[in-house]
Amino acid sequence: MKTFAWPQGVRCAVFLSVHFDAESYDLKSTTEDRLFGRFSYGRYGVRAGLPRLLAMLQRRTLAATVFVTADDARRHEAEVRALAEAGHEIASRGADLRPLPELREGERASLAAAHETLATIAGRPPVGFRAAGGELSSGTLATLAGLGYRYDSSFQDADHPYVFAPTPGARIAELPTVQALDDAPLYSARHTMARLDKVWREEFDALHAEGCLVPMTVHLRGDMGSTRAARIAVLDDLLAYMASKPGVRFVTCAQLAEMTLAQDLPGEPDPCAAHQATLAVTPYRGDLSIKPI
Amino acid sequence: MSAARTLLPKDMRCAVTLGVDFDGPSHEVGRGIAPIGTHSWGRYSARCGVPRHMDMLGKHGVPCTFFVPGYDAECHPETIQAIHANGFEVAAHGYLHEAWDLKAQEETELLHRTDHILRELTGEPVLGWRSPSGRKTPNTMHVLKSLGYIYDSSDKDYDLPYRLRFGPGPQDSIVELPNNTYSLDDFPFFKFSHTPPSEVLAQWKAEFDAIYASDRFLVLTVHPRSGWGSGTPARTAVLDQMIGYIKQHEGVQFFSSAGFAQWCLDHPQHLEEVSIP
Repeated sequence: MKTFAWPQGVRCAVFLSVHFDAESYDLKSTTEDRLFGRFSYGRYGVRAGLPRLLAMLQRRTLAATVFVTADDARRHEAEVRALAEAGHEIASRGADLRPLPELREGERASLAAAHETLATIAGRPPVGFRAAGGELSSGTLATLAGLGYRYDSSFQDADHPYVFAPTPGARIAELPTVQALDDAPLYSARHTMARLDKVWREEFDALHAEGCLVPMTVHLRGDMGSTRAARIAVLDDLLAYMASKPGVRFVTCAQLAEMTLAQDLPGEPDPCAAHQATLAVTPYRGDLSIKPI
Repeated sequence: MSAARTLLPKDMRCAVTLGVDFDGPSHEVGRGIAPIGTHSWGRYSARCGVPRHMDMLGKHGVPCTFFVPGYDAECHPETIQAIHANGFEVAAHGYLHEAWDLKAQEETELLHRTDHILRELTGEPVLGWRSPSGRKTPNTMHVLKSLGYIYDSSDKDYDLPYRLRFGPGPQDSIVELPNNTYSLDDFPFFKFSHTPPSEVLAQWKAEFDAIYASDRFLVLTVHPRSGWGSGTPARTAVLDQMIGYIKQHEGVQFFSSAGFAQWCLDHPQHLEEVSIP
């Protein structure tokens, strides 16, 4: 069976994905009229964080993929347009950060409307998607393919990109991420920059040694994000470290999706199909997990 | 014949058993969650984690036991057959990774179902079980014994193997290989404390040093999934380096869990017998 291969001379590819997640995130916990105080870390990401990130990326001539909700894009049209004009990819994160499974039969309309909003603001339609909280419904992949999306990046189940065929004839690339290379779990657990730096270097070294995809995810936010001055310096140093290693190519998610779809890989079937019968008779136990004492 | 306290013979300087708890999509499906998006970590086990672990273990030439939920074996039969064909032990680990309490009849049915699935795939009897999440009932050991299992590896109450007596009959005992899921396991570090891989290695080395100097029995567990597991390159490298470190120590013997349980059965005079409850 044909498997994913990097182009000649490439040992591994790195993409830098950015979760815009401004007010959309704070609004999970409060209302529009209360976006201040503890609910203003999202606004920090736009006011203080984004200019800093843009400057760093420009200095590195590095194009990032920025996943934005339609609601955040509407609130920050000029910033999203500036990102697109600076050569960064604007990708969809849906309408807001409500988990897709909660939208039920409204999911398709919601994703389609978000698609139109982002296309209008960014000046071109998004080709990629990453779900809020990584939560997909059983129909999301087919819906995305139907809307013309070239990739989803919500799974965490492989070392390399692969291809889904959610319905007969439909093909959409999957660009899987890894939790260890996401800043939010570490910073939201109040870990230090030194700890994040150590984790990321060790994870990167091993992925590079084995020629795996290096999917980086950072947030703009002031709480769990990477745009504070000290934190962006850590990210900057890490990107320099990666760039210094042999065979590392930086790509946007859209470029990686095209690289993947051009390889004529077999399309994996709808990932829900095999589990539907069991799920239909299994009660929800999602709240069941070990908690520290 | 039994010992007042388990004491491994002098020439067995330290016994080591390695376990890989498969934990594929069963972990999410059993909780009623489709294994997609952020819930897809279990799909990594068969695709990447298990092959990577087998490669690494094969290079070391050490035995290992893969504890497999029955549902995951149904989802990935070829992976289970590859584990067996590569000479590693396949043992039972629940059906849907039941990390919740079961009624006696349901538990019996599920233990039988998983046993049947694994037996069909490997063509050999299953010899051991590890509870998903460590839950057991007064019924569990009776069912395992009736299925011909020789060991359980779920209890947390000791540092050494022992003979667990669960009834008065001559057949009412089983070898217990106790484990510790707070330190000699990967998920506490990768799920809760986001510990850098190199520090997990240091932690496990410190555990081994203390064990090597005292009880001389190590049960180490990892998971081949993504997320909080060790299937990914940096974390598989931790286990790789850990095995290399253990091998540098004189007199260490690696066993599969079944292999070590059989040794215990063959040397009853070395094992303490404990009646529980």
